[in-house]
Amino acid sequence: MPQLMPAGIDLTLQALFWSTATIALYLAARAVYRRWPRWWLMPLAIAPLGLILTALALHTSYRDYSRGTHWLVSLLGPATVAFAVPIYQRRALIRRHWRVLATGMVLGSATSMLTAWGLARLLGLSDTLTLSLLPRSMSTPFAMTVSSEIGGAPDLTAVFVIVTGVVGAAIGDVLLLRFPIRSSLALGALLGVAAHGAGTAKAHEIGQEEGAVAGLVMVLVGLFNVLLVPLLMMAQKLVSHGV
Amino acid sequence: MRVSWLRVRVRRGVHRSPLLQIGLVVGFWLAGEGIAKLTGLPVPGGVIGMLLVLALLATRRVSAHSLRRGAEWFIGSMVLFFVPAVMALLDHRELLGLLGLKILAVIVGGTVAVMLVTGLIVDLCTRWGARDAAAHASGD
Repeated sequence: MPQLMPAGIDLTLQALFWSTATIALYLAARAVYRRWPRWWLMPLAIAPLGLILTALALHTSYRDYSRGTHWLVSLLGPATVAFAVPIYQRRALIRRHWRVLATGMVLGSATSMLTAWGLARLLGLSDTLTLSLLPRSMSTPFAMTVSSEIGGAPDLTAVFVIVTGVVGAAIGDVLLLRFPIRSSLALGALLGVAAHGAGTAKAHEIGQEEGAVAGLVMVLVGLFNVLLVPLLMMAQKLVSHGV
Repeated sequence: MRVSWLRVRVRRGVHRSPLLQIGLVVGFWLAGEGIAKLTGLPVPGGVIGMLLVLALLATRRVSAHSLRRGAEWFIGSMVLFFVPAVMALLDHRELLGLLGLKILAVIVGGTVAVMLVTGLIVDLCTRWGARDAAAHASGD
């Protein structure tokens, strides 16, 4: 389709085209998912697939695409701010269970990093890929911050974060009923720790309490790791220089 | 008198208009970004904005009503903001083959493990907590 997108096309037009295509595909995918709520029809899976096929057909590079749509990704910032409201509204629940939630959160995110590291080593993945996989369970803004601090590739991490979201929501759909876990506190916590925003959306589908717990845990896991990693890096530097 | 009347009008307008609330959320985010830049903290601006809003809500300087609808809109549309990030795959065609399957295996295995560990820990701790509370109650 070279006539449709000639190489010298105006940048503004291109930005407008890709922003519109992204939003339109997302809205269409969301409408489909509302009608048929199966995990493999999730907007998070279908919309990127449609966009990648479109970009391949139009020979668009990632650089050209992201130049026009970067503003959409930066809206994750205000989306993070928005989580203050549900967290504040569920403060009684959180105050009652904060010790349990904190324990699950710390051990859960340790498991996330250790399994990523162990499995990646087992399958012989490169160092960059391994480091980029470590923060995959966190929400994108946190994960990208952590990834660049530990020496991973933030853009790859962003992709892994989304794959983790789709996988987490799929497991939430297919496997969760077979787990011996029933309490809304545990369901919310495991979805928030393992699958960030996508898990939180799934948790909101299960119930309001699950959703609030997942949203809180998701933000706290990210915060905990973003603050922890610089400390660990400093400790590592001290050890390697000191000895 | 005049000032308080104006304040009531503004508050009522913000409570009713989702668009103004969306703007308010964006304003807090920009404030967070500004603080992050000025202090050089390794924390995303959105997180600082969130902590700022939590502090304002907790001290009742801002009511949850004047942010609720804007916040719901942002949380409900969050998937859209993730979508463009997946397009980084266009630059990493090498991930579309066996390597991609390996990475998928790491992600699936890791995610199942994280879910089981987190869920079981929270479930067990809640059960122990409930038993302790019951024991204390009967002991008294």
